[in-house]
Amino acid sequence: MSDTAEPDTLVVETVERLLADVCTPASVERAESVGWSAAVWDALANAGFPWVSVPVDAGGSGGTLTDAAAILRCVGRHAAPVPVAETGVLAGWLLAGAGIALPAGPATVVPDASAITLVDGRLTGRATVAWGRRAERIVALVANGSDWIVASCRPEQLSITLGQSLAGEPRDRVWFDVPLVATEHAPALPGTDGDALHHRGAFTRVVMTAGALSAIAQMTIDYTNERQQFGRPVATFQAVQQHLVTVAQCAVRVEMAADLATRAIARGAVGIEIAAARLIADAAIVAGTRAAHQAHGAMGVTREYPLHQLSRRLWAWRHEYGSATTWRRRLGRDVHAGGADALFPLITGWVAHDSVRP
Amino acid sequence: MIEFQCSELSIEERQLQADVREFLAAELPRGSFMPGLGMNAAKDPVFSAKLGERGWLGMALPTEYGGHERSAVDRFIVTEELLRWGAPVGHHWVADRQSGPVIAKFATEAQKRRFLPGICRGELSFCIGMSEPASGSDLASVTTRAIHDGDSWVLDGRKIWTTGADRNDWIVVLCRTSLLDEVTDKRQGLSQLIVDLRSPGVTASPIPFIDGTADFCEVTFDGVVVPGELVLGEIGSGWTQNMSELAYERGGADRWLSTYLVAEELLRNHEHGEISDDLADLLGEAVANYWLLHQLSLSVARSIDRGGAPAVESALAKEMGTRFEQDVLNAVLAFVDQAPNTATDSLFERLLITATLTAPSFTIRGGTNEILRSVAAKGLRPSSGRR
Ligand SMILES: Cc1cc2nc3c(=O)[nH]c(=O)nc-3n(C[C@H](O)[C@H](O)[C@H](O)COP(=O)(O)OP(=O)(O)OC[C@H]3O[C@@H](n4cnc5c(N)ncnc54)[C@H](O)[C@@H]3O)c2cc1C
Repeated sequence: MSDTAEPDTLVVETVERLLADVCTPASVERAESVGWSAAVWDALANAGFPWVSVPVDAGGSGGTLTDAAAILRCVGRHAAPVPVAETGVLAGWLLAGAGIALPAGPATVVPDASAITLVDGRLTGRATVAWGRRAERIVALVANGSDWIVASCRPEQLSITLGQSLAGEPRDRVWFDVPLVATEHAPALPGTDGDALHHRGAFTRVVMTAGALSAIAQMTIDYTNERQQFGRPVATFQAVQQHLVTVAQCAVRVEMAADLATRAIARGAVGIEIAAARLIADAAIVAGTRAAHQAHGAMGVTREYPLHQLSRRLWAWRHEYGSATTWRRRLGRDVHAGGADALFPLITGWVAHDSVRP
Repeated sequence: MIEFQCSELSIEERQLQADVREFLAAELPRGSFMPGLGMNAAKDPVFSAKLGERGWLGMALPTEYGGHERSAVDRFIVTEELLRWGAPVGHHWVADRQSGPVIAKFATEAQKRRFLPGICRGELSFCIGMSEPASGSDLASVTTRAIHDGDSWVLDGRKIWTTGADRNDWIVVLCRTSLLDEVTDKRQGLSQLIVDLRSPGVTASPIPFIDGTADFCEVTFDGVVVPGELVLGEIGSGWTQNMSELAYERGGADRWLSTYLVAEELLRNHEHGEISDDLADLLGEAVANYWLLHQLSLSVARSIDRGGAPAVESALAKEMGTRFEQDVLNAVLAFVDQAPNTATDSLFERLLITATLTAPSFTIRGGTNEILRSVAAKGLRPSSGRR
């Protein structure tokens, strides 16, 4: 195989264990009411996990993007209410690429590079930013003619209105009206443009979706094997088994899609993978959460049972970094541009760098 | 638990893929033949023999019997390319996919020498003799009966839906060799016989198929004498052998490519000029799913190469793949303004007609989706801990 990049198992096991310990359903619930979970953040941050994939000499923890993706899967699996994707894979990536220092604590990113504009030396615009209120730096990627600039702002330079996602996670409205010179800023690494950020953001959501949906699948199997009606576990009814198979298929699909997206991002040559993975994830979220909730009956719609912590996150994530419709249309246009003869090679992942006769 | 692993094709595997593409473009240029829809494609022994010459049949079978000891992944790559091209795979399809591997696994030395070289050369064609009029999903209830008589077995009964039985050479028949009241479980006392379809007492009558063709048959066995040396594997082990055969049958590209050419032709017809949002949406969704299903099948093949038995994974993949074959077709159909008409020169329209008429069979043949879901559900086990 040309690329067998596997995540560091020690890292994955450690994160998994940490989150199993501190990221309990009760702590996720508490984080929702106060907008933060110091326990979960500290557990991960003390070991440097939010900065995995950011080079050590840039202030990160080193490691690969494959490692970071595996960590994000754990974050998804445990519904961890902390900005791990934002701090390292997104903001950390932008900052490190531009040679700007990373803050010691959480950082976040303006997800849409067209939201903030640079006019007459001022950054202006409005964006919805994950964990804006908690970030030590809010990082924006801003177009400057045909170049891109990374600007790192302190929260007090911006005006922030609190908001929440469907999952009760901080998604704050942030207004920029700040002179560029007042921010830490530098040219983005060549190749880092709005589209690269959009892809990378979508990638984080796909990977977290994979984690959350696989947790939902197991939770649904477990619940239906415990719950008894008509004198037997409901999982023994064929109609319920159909739901279990649906959830399992959804989990399998999005996990495979996430793996493929991770490989593409890690090798730095993204073809259709992110768009395709995003579409697979979207359909899996719809069908998977529907089947899981149905199989749980009323228990699934109470705040006392943890299914909602996962399903609400999935419903929130599917709208971040581009809707399914946007990705689908874009992918379709690319497919059309390639033409009918290129269709199957595209599906089977013809990669330009392969040294094979075409 | 269920395991699908992501992998990429190696340089050598990519080369094989490129070789098959090159071969097909030269041998069967687009426009020079009427492509078929997946495994329903035409029967063409000359074409099968050419694949045999290339070493592209019986790829994973032992070299001493004419095979090539290549991997399941190599076989997957070749079949995937053949199917998406609509190549006439009908003659060798069952032999290469399923009869060859079970013979290699369970047959006697003499049987291997007798059948495998011909399968690898693309000469011998095989049928699957499982279903009966009263035994579909409940396959273990088959009543076709073989009675031991000296060195032979005498076979009586009826098989149905047997694809190609009126034209193929051999059929592997699942039959009862012990009476039902002699066994505690109906899965016991079953055996597999390799039967010459030209034997006296075998009658294959085509059953008209929904699209007006007649590919499958009812086959009656009336006192057919089957030599003892044509018992496949162990007497009484028919059920286990048969189940392992189904694993070969289920996880492949044939389970998601049946309507691929319809989508490709739709794109070809709209290649020039602007693309509408609707068409972009259709293509985007289709490609994302093809991309995923390709990977799931690849993962099943890799698992077989690692010595795994991905029965649950195959069932899950087939269930998703066959539904998708129908979904993509329906999406294309929703796009078509003019009612498909047989008086057409358009390849797209002709494929569309066949696809529409045969699509309901995709989720039935090879085990219905309901049965596949039951198989898959058995692999979904509760964990003891919390999440
Ligand atoms: C095109 C085509 C080619 C074929 N070729 C061959 C061949 O070459 N050789 C061969 O042996 N067979 C062949 N078959 C037969 C195929 O294997 C059977 O059709 C299939 O196994 C289903 O059996 P059945 O059609 O009798 O449906 P039935 O078993 O009668 O099923 C009817 C309905 O009931 C459902 N059902 C049945 N049992 C259950 C259950 N326990 N739980 C839930 N739902 C259930 C089924 O899913 C289906 O929806 C072919 C079929 C087709 C369509």
